[in-house]
Parts: sequence; structure tokens; C-alpha cells
Amino acid sequence: MIQIENLTHVYPASRKTPERTAIDNLSLTVDEGQFCILSGPNGSGKSSLFRILCGMSYPSAGSIRIAGHDLLKAPAKARAEMAVVFQSPAVDKHLSVAENLKLHADLYGIKGKDYAERLDEALAWTNLKDRLAEKVDILSGGLARQVELTKCLLTRPRLLLLDEPTTGLDPATRRAFVDALHRIQKGRKLTVLMTSHIFSEAEDADRVAIMRAGKLLANDSPQALRGQLGREMVVLQSRQTEALEARIQADLGLKTRRHGDEIRLEETDNGNSLPILEKLLERYRAEIDSIAIKQPSLEDVFIHLTGQTAADADAEGGK
Amino acid sequence: MFSVAIALARREFIRFMRQPHRVIGTVAQPILFWLFLGSGFNSSFRAPGMEGVSYLEYFYPGVMLMMMLFASIFSSITIIEDRDAGFLQSVLVAPVSRMAIVLGKVMGGVSIAMVQTLIFTIAAPFLGLHLGLGSLLLLVISYVLASTGFAAMGFFFAWSMRSSSGFHAIMMVFLMPLWMLSGALFPVENAPMWLHAVMTVNPVAHALVLMRGPFYMEPLQLIENSRWLLALAVTILWGAAFLLGSMSRVEKREKGAALKV
Repeated sequence: MIQIENLTHVYPASRKTPERTAIDNLSLTVDEGQFCILSGPNGSGKSSLFRILCGMSYPSAGSIRIAGHDLLKAPAKARAEMAVVFQSPAVDKHLSVAENLKLHADLYGIKGKDYAERLDEALAWTNLKDRLAEKVDILSGGLARQVELTKCLLTRPRLLLLDEPTTGLDPATRRAFVDALHRIQKGRKLTVLMTSHIFSEAEDADRVAIMRAGKLLANDSPQALRGQLGREMVVLQSRQTEALEARIQADLGLKTRRHGDEIRLEETDNGNSLPILEKLLERYRAEIDSIAIKQPSLEDVFIHLTGQTAADADAEGGK
Repeated sequence: MFSVAIALARREFIRFMRQPHRVIGTVAQPILFWLFLGSGFNSSFRAPGMEGVSYLEYFYPGVMLMMMLFASIFSSITIIEDRDAGFLQSVLVAPVSRMAIVLGKVMGGVSIAMVQTLIFTIAAPFLGLHLGLGSLLLLVISYVLASTGFAAMGFFFAWSMRSSSGFHAIMMVFLMPLWMLSGALFPVENAPMWLHAVMTVNPVAHALVLMRGPFYMEPLQLIENSRWLLALAVTILWGAAFLLGSMSRVEKREKGAALKV
């Protein structure tokens, strides 16, 4: 459904800032009917890629095909196949839910009986049916997001692009939104590409693509990605991380990875974790604050690949 | 294209009506200006060739232009708000023509200006100005043309602006002076040479001539009056130029830098 080939995007230099490469020769394919999560630390080029995909900016080089249409040469045809949910709300807060939906339909030339039909269909999954006359302004964050998604469904897209759609929602609402999204995707056989760095959202995805510094680091199923780290790992925390890490490497010959005040032993074979943990405790009990055996999560894979946590990525800020 | 533009314009209009402060502000301010300035200058105003015209009457079409100017400024500011809030993104991604996006905003601004100026036209008989059906028609046409010019110009300047305070600055140093030097406040004839020259090339001055015409001349006279026809041509050109200019601004997409090989 999406075929990105050798995509490069360089932001032109301006008076104050030098030229900056946001996307560096990236190729990525998302098959029809897949639910793909695009992740990466801030500044990894996700947002640039997203802007290019929805046709808001032209890349420096490369090609993109969406549902067989060349996005860069025939943008109108490619755009007709997709719908976009932006991070910032793209609904008019001063208008009612119904007015927002009607306006969106007008933009796409949907009217009359066709509109009534599509409206019922698009609203079927929501909690909005009794609140159509209310202004979007007074809806809760979760409901406002439902309006956005409903709006997108009106055009019966084959591809849905979402840019961190759950930003600002509480965990329960976020979960509900993503679950609904999965149901819709399955029911309508949509292809979904969603950027996110909330890894609980990625566990149910078909594919997780991880970007860093404009390059694609990984693109695989969540299971396969977790598999890269083995099935278990030992994570310990200490106040003298650096010294302890050096000693573990020297004394035990184990491969370690330091992350903040954590030391991770990621490549432990199955069943090996417990003996390692015991050995570590035996030798360095005094220096260890806490120690645990963990099943790798997608967040751990992210840390492994990008060398930072989602929280770090958030704290780093920027785009 | 037009159905999309009308849908977008309707949104502008609904939004305007739902913000009572905006309605009051844009209607009341020009009227207060008119009443205060008009009454104050009334005794000292003597325009050459316009003997018997009170300042209240002289200033009257100028206030109409002011209403259009304000309507256009406010609707242009909503471009910046739309971009900030995120609404604009969904319009830009939709498969709609770029002209429809421009026309939607401009028609929204024009329709708001029309409501105000038409209400204000009710004052004409009280000033001793009498309008026949033909004159009224020409008047409405000139309202539409003049406010299109203003709205399109506002759009053109606001499109690349990222902050509404920046737009205020542009408005104060550019849009307001265009209005002040249009002959709305004082007649062109008495002004010093340099000012006279500025006023001749100012499209708003021509829009004022266009609007003043129907109050003082019969429709048939106007159609043969070369000064009025010139004003008509300039006003149409003014609107068209800024509509096209705005469209090319909307069309422009952010582009990646070319790669060095």
C-alpha cells in the first residue's frame, strides 16, 4: 500500500541554521491491510516523513507510491485514497460535531443520501451519536479524537495515516482509542500507519518500524523485534554504574549495555538469566540497588536500537 | 470548486455569528468612528466641488470601506488561527483546488462585510441620499468588488504569517494607511502633491470612487462616466491580482533542498 524508496529530505539552509538532513535514503514498505507503527526518538525524522506522506512537503529525492499512485507526481489520486489524523486537532472547535462532519464531507464532495449513509457507517463505533449538536469545544479529549477519526472514515479511505493521535489522552482513553482503531482497521481492511512512541500501543501492531537520525533501524513484527533481544534479560541498578559495569565485563566476561543508572545484560540465553543474577548478587551485593529478570518489551527494543528511552526522547524535545 | 469554497465560506460566517464580541466590535467601531469624527468635523468641513455635503455624508462611504477593511483583517487573522489550531492542515490535505481554499476565506470575509455594509446602508436616506433600484444594484456590486479586494489582500499577507501580532503590525503600517489615503477621510483634491500621487495609485481610493458613485449619479450616467469606469476596472484588477497571488502562495509547498551530487 505504501512503498517508499530511497527517500531523502534535506531542510534547506536558512540564514541562521545550516542545512539539515531529516530523512536519509529511507526505504519502507507497508503492505495492504497492515497496522504499522512508526516510532523513533524526537528528531528522528518521523514528522518529516509524515508531512511528506500526506503531501504537505516535497522531499529532496526518492519516490513514494500509495495504492499504486505516485504521490509526488499524481498527488490528487494518491490523496483520494488516504485520510489523515493529525497530532493537533484538525476540527473547528466553534462548530458542532455535525457541522464539522458536514464540512469535511463538503471538502470531499460527498453529499445527499450518500452522505447520510456514510455518516451512519462512520459514526457506528463512536459515542458521538447523541452529541452531534454539541460544539467540539465542550467535548472531552477522547470524544474530540473520535470526531477526527469519524471525519476521516467518511471518505472511506484505504489508507489511514495518524500522527501521534493519542497525545494528551489519559491511559484508559488512549487504550480505548487504539482498540477502536484496531477494530475499525480489521473490519474495513484498512492499512494504518501511525506514529507513536507509546510502546503499549505498538504491541498489537503487525509491524513496528523504528527510525533514528533519518534512517530506518528496524521494521518487523513486535514478536520478531523482541526476539532480537533474546527472551529474557537481566537489568540491575546501581549507584556506581560505570565502575560496576567495568567490573562485570572484566570479571565475568559478560556483554553489558549501560543505560542511565541501569546496566542491562541483554544477550542472556534461555534459562541462563537466573544463574547470572545469582552470580551477580553473590559478587556485587553491596553495589547493587535492585536487580531483576525482565521479558523484553518493545520499549526495551527501542532502547537497544536507539540508545534512549521514550522518556528521554520526549525530554530531548525538538522535532 | 465553488461548492467547496461555499462550504468553507459558510464556516467563516457561522463562526463569525457565534462570536458576538466580534460582531459587536466590527459593526460598532466604524459606526462610532463615523458618528464621532463626522459630528466633530462637520462644522469645519468644506470640500471643493462638494458644497452642501456635510462631513457626516462625506465620510459615509469611507466608513463602509472601513467596515470592509476590518472584516478582511479579522477574517485574515482566522487564517493564522486556523493554522495554529490545526484546522488548516485537514483542508490542505483534502483533494480540493487551491483556489477553493482562497475563495472560501475571501467569500467568508466578503459575506461578513456585506452584512455590515448593507445594514449601514439603511442610514443613507437619513443623510438625504436617495437610491433607486438600479443604483442599489450598482452599489451592492461595488461593495462585493471592494470587499473582495480587501479580503484577498488580507489573505495574501496573512498566509505566510505565523503570529497574529505580526499581522497586526502589517495591518497598521500597510492596510490602515491604504484606507486613510483613499479619500475616505479627506478629499484627494486638497492634498499636497506627493500625497495626491500616492492616492492616485492606491486601489482603495478607486474603490471609494466606485462606491461613492451610485449615491450621487444615476446608473446610466455612471456607465458613461470614465472616472467611474476606471475605478471599476482598477477595483476588479486589484481583487483579481490578490486572488491569484494568494492562490500561488497556497500552492507553494515546502520543498526539500536539492541534493549535492
